[in-house]
Amino acid sequence: MWAERVSRNERMNAMALPRLSRSLAVVLALTTPITLAGCAKSASDVQNQQAGSTGGSTGGGAQSVTVLISADTNIQNLWEKKLIPGFTKANPDITVKTNFDLHGEHDAQNLAKLSAAVKGGKDVGFDVIDAGFVSQAADSDLLEPQSASTLPALKDVSPTLVEAGKGHGVPYRASSVLLAYNTKTVNAPPKTLADLLAWIKAHPGKFAYNSPKSGGSGQSFAATVLDANMDKAAADKLRTDVDKDAMAQWDKGFAVLKSLNPSVYGKGVYPNGNSQVLELLSSGQIDMAPVWSDMFVTAKTNGQIPETVDVTQIADPSFTGGASYLGVAKTTQHKEAAQKLLEYVLTPAAQADIAMEIAGTPVAPLDSLPAEVQKKFEGTDPKTMRPGYYAEVANDLNNQWDQKVPGQ
Amino acid sequence: MGRRGRGFAMAMPPILLILGFVGLPIVTAGLYSLGHFGGLNSTTAAIGQHQHEATHWWGTLGAYQEVLTNARFLRDLVMTISVTVVATTIVMVLAIGIALYQRLSNSALAKGLAVLSIVPMFIPVVIGSWAILTFYSGTGFVRTVLAQVGIDGPVWAYTQTAIVIGSVWTSLPFAVLMVTSGVQAVPDALIDAARDAGASLARTAVGIILPIAAVPIIIAVTFTSIGILGSFTVPYLTGPNAPAMLGVDIANYFQAFNQPQQSIVMAFVVFALASAIGAFYVWANFRSASKAVK
Repeated sequence: MWAERVSRNERMNAMALPRLSRSLAVVLALTTPITLAGCAKSASDVQNQQAGSTGGSTGGGAQSVTVLISADTNIQNLWEKKLIPGFTKANPDITVKTNFDLHGEHDAQNLAKLSAAVKGGKDVGFDVIDAGFVSQAADSDLLEPQSASTLPALKDVSPTLVEAGKGHGVPYRASSVLLAYNTKTVNAPPKTLADLLAWIKAHPGKFAYNSPKSGGSGQSFAATVLDANMDKAAADKLRTDVDKDAMAQWDKGFAVLKSLNPSVYGKGVYPNGNSQVLELLSSGQIDMAPVWSDMFVTAKTNGQIPETVDVTQIADPSFTGGASYLGVAKTTQHKEAAQKLLEYVLTPAAQADIAMEIAGTPVAPLDSLPAEVQKKFEGTDPKTMRPGYYAEVANDLNNQWDQKVPGQ
Repeated sequence: MGRRGRGFAMAMPPILLILGFVGLPIVTAGLYSLGHFGGLNSTTAAIGQHQHEATHWWGTLGAYQEVLTNARFLRDLVMTISVTVVATTIVMVLAIGIALYQRLSNSALAKGLAVLSIVPMFIPVVIGSWAILTFYSGTGFVRTVLAQVGIDGPVWAYTQTAIVIGSVWTSLPFAVLMVTSGVQAVPDALIDAARDAGASLARTAVGIILPIAAVPIIIAVTFTSIGILGSFTVPYLTGPNAPAMLGVDIANYFQAFNQPQQSIVMAFVVFALASAIGAFYVWANFRSASKAVK
């Protein structure tokens, strides 16, 4: 792709300078790719500035916007196959580039980059951010403020979700963690958390959840057990902020999680990542596990998970879930294009794409969406999802779980 | 400019490069681990959790104290060292065995063995780790074959055994190449002389061949153990959640737990261990260099 862009540049140079002597054109053609390729960062800075100066005031001309996607490949496909083609069809003068970070492995570095760039008033190289760290960035004032006045479509989105974006993050899809089970071996799936824990102990080796640090489904299971073993007010505090006193109440829940060690898969094996758990489930090595709703539906549609596996939600308390948020970097040079992209993502067409492509729960009101989507998501309201812990609290949960549960 | 000055000038670009890309990051990381949060460390410090900020002009040892008294870290340190020792021993026994066999026998089997032991070098570690994981998993090849004859085979996926197997798998090719080249360099005349004087095959190997090949063997030991000590992919994919190897811990602290300072402290501990092993390498190099000059 890089080479392609450079060679196009070469050609443009040659066309723009027809009257110059041949040798000068050759020199230019030779030096342009060198200066461009020599330092990728400065090259993108130059491009960004060009796009900013042409697109900023007039609103016309060639604009570009870069989306940072920090997620699994299903989200990458969603952007590259559905959202971006749909957006560029509606806005042919804007090109969208993507910057993909699998499993968000560089979240900490990207957040550091963003924070350094905003501090120094520089463009960070990506404009729209689709990552778990959006809420943290919103708190640290690294994103453009967002509200119904900047994004009119937000007024139709559930206020609970919009509030959780803290005035900077834009909810655009939701998903929750569900309990998947093998219908061949499990006749009556557990209905409550207490039932589930009893089932795990009665069927040693047949349940697994991934280590909380390696994926949200296992993290949700751990957090749900912790929540059930502390007072509700303290647990709710941890969804919006760090609270040392509330976190001190975790010990009882960790003891419960530890007591499961001999009963989970492999007498205390916690796979790394959501997909490793799905694999254990589909190969029949386990009969029950917490899974992400969207990953489960996608895997089942692809045939990665057999028809015999089904999902249900437990109660008292339920597994957590919530919206995924988009943010616009505060120092973006492409604010207008970025804002247009956010507007597009909240349109019924894009929301329907999200629902059909990755089985993500739409955040736009269901009655504005096609009948097919309405039927699929009947009864799932993102508003009623129990939100997970605040990002920094979740980091501490990962850490303490690692210390207190496996191998103890 | 004298000859020495010219030589230094010619070596300048690599020296500057190494100082800039290796030396400077180590110094800033060291300062950060001591609690200096300004300058180049300000961005990392703005994001990290549970940090220890400098209390004296030189900093604070708070982060070191926290990590070095952390029960989990000590447990993982012991596990890392034991995996390194066990895997390095197995690798060296295999590599020396293959090298000696190849030196003393010209059979096709000897050559085939040497070629086979190098195959892992051409397979990416991630792929190899996954293969090992599925091979020894609950529904893997080992258990399936044993189940055919009515034996309940072991599940080695996600255990320390799997880490050792994986480490041997990935480290063997380099050790075999290194040791084989050393053993091949032993002149035939010396071996024949020992055999003529009535030395047994074992005595020839222990008394003549291995001492002459000592330097490449020591180099193989140091590189293998340093490699396993700091490995990440194999223990991350095939090992248990706890105890974990330090390479995995460092990554977890840096990313999942968002505690970069503690992660850097651990990196310095691994660095210290590796330097201790590296001292052997320097000594072996020095020995071979001083011999070569004469």
